[in-house]
Amino acid sequence: MKAHWLKVIATTAVALLSLGTAQKLTFWHYWDGTNGQVLQGLIERYQKEHPGVTIEAVFVPGGELLTKLQTAITARQTPTMAISDLVAMPLLTRSGALAPLDDHIRQSNLNLADYFPGPLVYGLYQGKRYSLPVSASNLGLFWNKNLFRAAGLDPNRPPRNWDELLRYARQIKEKTGKWGLELFTQGGEGTTWQTQVYFWGAGAEFLGANNTAPAFNSAQGVRALQFLVDLVQKEKVAPVAPWGLFGRGEAAMVMDGSWMTQFFPQQVNFELGAAAFPFAPGGRPATNMGGEQIFIFQNADAATAKAAWDFINWFSSTPVQVEWDRGTGFLPVRRSVANDPAYRAWVSNARPLMRPFVDSMAFAKPRPPVARYPQISDVFARYVQEALLGRLSPKEALDRAAQEVTPLLR
Amino acid sequence: MNGVRLQKTPSKASRWGRTLGEWPAALFFLLPTVAVLGTFNFYPALYSLYLSLFEWNGLSPTREFVGLANYARLLASGEFWNSLRVTLLYAGGVTLLALALGLGVAVLLNQPIRGQAVYRVLYFLPVITPTVASGVVWKYLFDPTQGVVNRGLAGVGLEGPSWLSDPSWALAAVVVVGVWKRVGFNMVVYLAALQGIPRAYYEAAQLDGAGPWQQFRHITLPLLAPTTFFLVVTALIDAFQVFDLVYVMTSGGPLGGTDVLGYYLYRQGFRYSELGFASAVAYVMFALIFAVTVAQFRLTRGGGQGEG
Repeated sequence: MKAHWLKVIATTAVALLSLGTAQKLTFWHYWDGTNGQVLQGLIERYQKEHPGVTIEAVFVPGGELLTKLQTAITARQTPTMAISDLVAMPLLTRSGALAPLDDHIRQSNLNLADYFPGPLVYGLYQGKRYSLPVSASNLGLFWNKNLFRAAGLDPNRPPRNWDELLRYARQIKEKTGKWGLELFTQGGEGTTWQTQVYFWGAGAEFLGANNTAPAFNSAQGVRALQFLVDLVQKEKVAPVAPWGLFGRGEAAMVMDGSWMTQFFPQQVNFELGAAAFPFAPGGRPATNMGGEQIFIFQNADAATAKAAWDFINWFSSTPVQVEWDRGTGFLPVRRSVANDPAYRAWVSNARPLMRPFVDSMAFAKPRPPVARYPQISDVFARYVQEALLGRLSPKEALDRAAQEVTPLLR
Repeated sequence: MNGVRLQKTPSKASRWGRTLGEWPAALFFLLPTVAVLGTFNFYPALYSLYLSLFEWNGLSPTREFVGLANYARLLASGEFWNSLRVTLLYAGGVTLLALALGLGVAVLLNQPIRGQAVYRVLYFLPVITPTVASGVVWKYLFDPTQGVVNRGLAGVGLEGPSWLSDPSWALAAVVVVGVWKRVGFNMVVYLAALQGIPRAYYEAAQLDGAGPWQQFRHITLPLLAPTTFFLVVTALIDAFQVFDLVYVMTSGGPLGGTDVLGYYLYRQGFRYSELGFASAVAYVMFALIFAVTVAQFRLTRGGGQGEG
């Protein structure tokens, strides 16, 4: 009888306690399909392991997330936490709507040195950190082994530098009549972020130190653009044409993203190879990088913010990130994930094409975290197109682009 | 609505307040419309006018009041003038071509031919096809190597350009799609107007010895003038606001070759988060469309060509 009463009291107490500490967190994200399912699975497990915490994940289509966040911030109706494409982070950190994470990071002993340096560049503003990277992608070389064979090239040896890239491309054009290399020539950020890889690979910088002035019109920058213009105009091994030649077997090589290690094998009817993208002789290995960052909004009360941080900290931990990256095919943001034996085994067995992309994370460079990056990118792409079409010399195009970009960096 | 009350001719003085007592009732019935239009149309439109005086990225807690600087920047921007030029070319091209083709098709389909109804439906189909879907399909048709257009040209020994990637051809390609989407509408309106022309006029003209061209030139065309005016205004207003077609087919490129005002506005507001500047673009667009409409009204009234 007594035991029975004790039981009742105990259960009531637990129920009351958990009511008192019950935390409801809202989380806006744009991960759809498999990615969304993996996230939901992780959230459900977290909730089971942390009774009293409910995380309501709200899917917002990628193209609308920033607009929705703008509205939410203006109306002061923000969720507890959200993710964003890293390109939008400079706008978000300057909004005053995000909570700095430094104290949380310190208290949880989260080891930032374990993160790859590229993604960590975002989310920093005036010495404070407002976001953490949770996913990454980058660019590399894909090649068509069948076309390599047809051209008399070793199908298992990708070009390592631009000299080889050009030589291979010429040979492919000559022997098979197909394009040697496909460039993204359609303008906008698609053109800019691919072109940046060539610039970095030639030792050029996109913006100067502190991101206050353009630097792409340096001698190395001109050399990089000249190389691309020559591929199109002089060598005629790459066309100015809509994207998609490589996938149809009309071009032998292409720069594309790590996510294509998943999609190309389902789409193409030829044997694929993947490697880190070749760089200029005397240059350095380089690639560009995308991904998402996670952050907490300022107006959450201390307890809610703490609960949100606890989830972020858990989500960022190596074992969970290993699971996350295996489920989604995102690249690791932490070295401990990239070096994790289980993760490496998964890459080797399930996604061998992804190996060079994982290894490229060490030198993946961030696009400059400036608020007006989208405009700057469009201006740069427009002048790259002018040069590719032979309307302006590379030097002239880059100087004019620099002139237009300068006021956007004020 | 037109009940007993309207039978008394109201004097000028009572036009606004037939009896004062009717106002509360009138307001009550208007309230839902006023509330909806006010909240979702007028308030945002006025707010946008207000925003056009600020520099604001939609996120920063402070907005900087810049007066008319956004408008000054707009007028000094080469991209804006390029965008205006592209818009005028697009609007002019689509309006004129779709007008001529629409009339031609309407005249042909006004003849007693077999399968007339089927042809009418076929020509009208593009009008009701969603723009985004049409844009995607046309993008495939214009593909330089795989597309039907260039394959067709190759069939007759011509090498087609890289339509949507070539700054000198991209706008022409988008105009073709704009015309394709517009012809059916013009045709239907013209058909209705053609059927309103009394047969007697043609019979009289035939008796006087007028040939088919003379009949068309001196009876059909003049009697269609009010319809033509109507179609020109609506087509211009439509074409000035084109956005989705460009968004899907070219994203304003290449090299700004299809950067119509609607897309320019979108870029500024939603890709660059320059909400103040984008609002200024919107108001300049509004002024342009307003000017076209006013000019059109003046012309129809001055021309005295009928209902207008």
